[in-house]
Amino acid sequence: MPSQPPLPPLLTPYLSSHPDSSLTLVTSILGATSNWLILRFLHSSLASLWAPNPSFGLDESNNGTKKKVVLISFLRGWHFWRTEAKRLGLDLARLADKKQFAFIDGLSDLFNTAQGSRSPANPTPARPGIPQRTTLPVRGPPGAVPARGPPTAQIPSAGAPEGTTDKGVAQTLSFSGRGVAALDALENEILAVIAQLKISAEDGEEILLVIDQPDFLLAATGPSMDIGATEMAEWITGLQQNVHATVITLAADSPLIHNASTSGIQGSTPIEGEHAAFAIGLAHRARSVMQLRTLETGAATDVSGVLRISRGGGWSSGPEDNLDEKELLYYIQRDGGVRVFGRGES
Amino acid sequence: MSFRKRNIGVSTGIDRNAAPTAVAQAALPESNPGVRPSPDDGRPTTSTGCPSLDGLLAGHAGLPMGKILLIEENGTTEFAGQLLRYYAAEGVVQEQKIHVVGMPEQWGRSLPGLIGTADILEGKRSDKRKDERMKIAWRYERLGEFGAGIAGSRDAPPQTGDSDGAQKPQQAFCHAFDLTKRFTHPSITNMTFIPLTPSKESPYASILKRLQSAIQSSSPSTIHRIVIPSLLNPGLYPPDASRPEYVLQFLHSLKALMTTHSSRVTAMLTLPLTLFPRSSGLVRWIELLCDGVIELCPFPHSADALATSGAATSEEEPPQGMLKTHRLPVLHERGGGNDQNIGQDWAFNLSRRRFEIKPFSLPPAEGDKEAQEASVPSGMPKKADLEF
Repeated sequence: MPSQPPLPPLLTPYLSSHPDSSLTLVTSILGATSNWLILRFLHSSLASLWAPNPSFGLDESNNGTKKKVVLISFLRGWHFWRTEAKRLGLDLARLADKKQFAFIDGLSDLFNTAQGSRSPANPTPARPGIPQRTTLPVRGPPGAVPARGPPTAQIPSAGAPEGTTDKGVAQTLSFSGRGVAALDALENEILAVIAQLKISAEDGEEILLVIDQPDFLLAATGPSMDIGATEMAEWITGLQQNVHATVITLAADSPLIHNASTSGIQGSTPIEGEHAAFAIGLAHRARSVMQLRTLETGAATDVSGVLRISRGGGWSSGPEDNLDEKELLYYIQRDGGVRVFGRGES
Repeated sequence: MSFRKRNIGVSTGIDRNAAPTAVAQAALPESNPGVRPSPDDGRPTTSTGCPSLDGLLAGHAGLPMGKILLIEENGTTEFAGQLLRYYAAEGVVQEQKIHVVGMPEQWGRSLPGLIGTADILEGKRSDKRKDERMKIAWRYERLGEFGAGIAGSRDAPPQTGDSDGAQKPQQAFCHAFDLTKRFTHPSITNMTFIPLTPSKESPYASILKRLQSAIQSSSPSTIHRIVIPSLLNPGLYPPDASRPEYVLQFLHSLKALMTTHSSRVTAMLTLPLTLFPRSSGLVRWIELLCDGVIELCPFPHSADALATSGAATSEEEPPQGMLKTHRLPVLHERGGGNDQNIGQDWAFNLSRRRFEIKPFSLPPAEGDKEAQEASVPSGMPKKADLEF
């Protein structure tokens, strides 16, 4: 099979155009994850800056607006995003150095604060060749990024998994306390990163904010910690105000969406009710909704899943905004390339 | 010293392997036999202790390091628990560190006994295959069994072990265990049991702390396995353990721990589905947090008659249940899709010496002797064998 272009031609218009203050919602389910699509979003926004020859191929369509991207991931680590982006030909670590990209880690330390197991993001260049697990006495003084949380002198090896360094991680989120105050603290940490990118932004450079699965934050806290769908939606709005456009991924498995509406025997638990309210609320605000799901007819060897693109509740019907609704099939090849095609085509 | 211990375990099964093994060990003290690169993309993997489960995991022929595998089970049977015991026993044989959560130390004594490398079981099969081999042109013989492609074949792990001469001196990646024997191994003390301690806060906090400190304080070459049997089971866990903010935060922190030490920790957990159905939001979130999700649906006892007749041949044990793969490590993280194992109907069978997962197929009609005879050599009837 011939190698695929990093951006499937059919998807390019959806990936690259983000009107001002628009929200794009990407929903995924257990068997059809959204990571590949997020990587395409990153690529369409960042590749033209990074590619040595901008006039090459599909990147042309993107030359008009320059973009910076902030990625917040709650379920995947920096290592995953970096290696997968590399398969697409996107060097996120280098882009982070050039302040075109910032990664906010919502995985490693989110609920770990008591342990303080991770040393704060250390901007001193790490040496990738040398495994840092060996006992290093004291590293250089902490640089620009201020240390948060309790000091972690006792475990020098903690934050350095093999082949992964903290280089490139702009911020590591940690959740403490409860309710709106805790969310506000997270928001401030994120806004600080956005502000850093804004300082270096040239004229006309826009910031795209990608939040990967903020719904986990809601599920893992919930009403018993005074966080509900309303608070989360407000939190998202607060972040949206500071960036040009936003892409959010959510889980949309049927137990999480449909249990809330059925007045069945078992009723719905708070986790289901809040999730449904949060997801549906966001869909009403979104300009477009991209749903990923598996084939209803069972798995196939040449189709990974179905991608349905539809207008969301926030779609403006003005002449400047044209968005075709479509349902497409996609197939992830073993080399990471993606083929997107209509039903019946191949 | 350490490798001598291992040889005791291994050589009980295979004597001829003992000498070359020791030589290889001396030459390569650093190499870790329990970890090998995945044939798919080269990432380190370790064995689950069950060759056919290894083969199911999306072409990696083992569980990739840093990944969490969730095994769900319907009903009141203990098939998933048995898989966990294989996983723990395999870890002990490979001298990895095992952390068992929420179980008393008796659990460690119920591990199945070691009978040798996984090749032993394959030995019998390959005898059968040898008769067939005469028919195959000799130049194709080395290419392996037909249908056993590189991409995630069930037979991949044993094949690489016994067909490739170069790998022969290596330590076995996967071992075989016998359920009727009790596990005795010099390094069984490598198991630690982390009890659930009652607390006002999250019952998982102390577990997590112990796991973190154990992994962080160990030497970087130590491989860890985290075993969590029957998560949320009210017989083991306090009532508030199933509160989403506790269990989801715990699993998220576990995931963070695995990501931080991504080349030396694996975890496997089981979940009783009868108590916590898949249609609930909490279970779905637990699944979303795990890298691999496999569901076991044992046949009810009333289906015994059907299952017996479902055995393709008299030599083959009848399937004891269906197995569904909902998510596979790495593959689905990338978007899912192109694994040949996906979308198959799988059946599993637990016998004294192995837990076997094979494609589920309806047998030829009862009394149809010719068709039954025809399906004997292949072991499992393929589509071609079932032409009507």
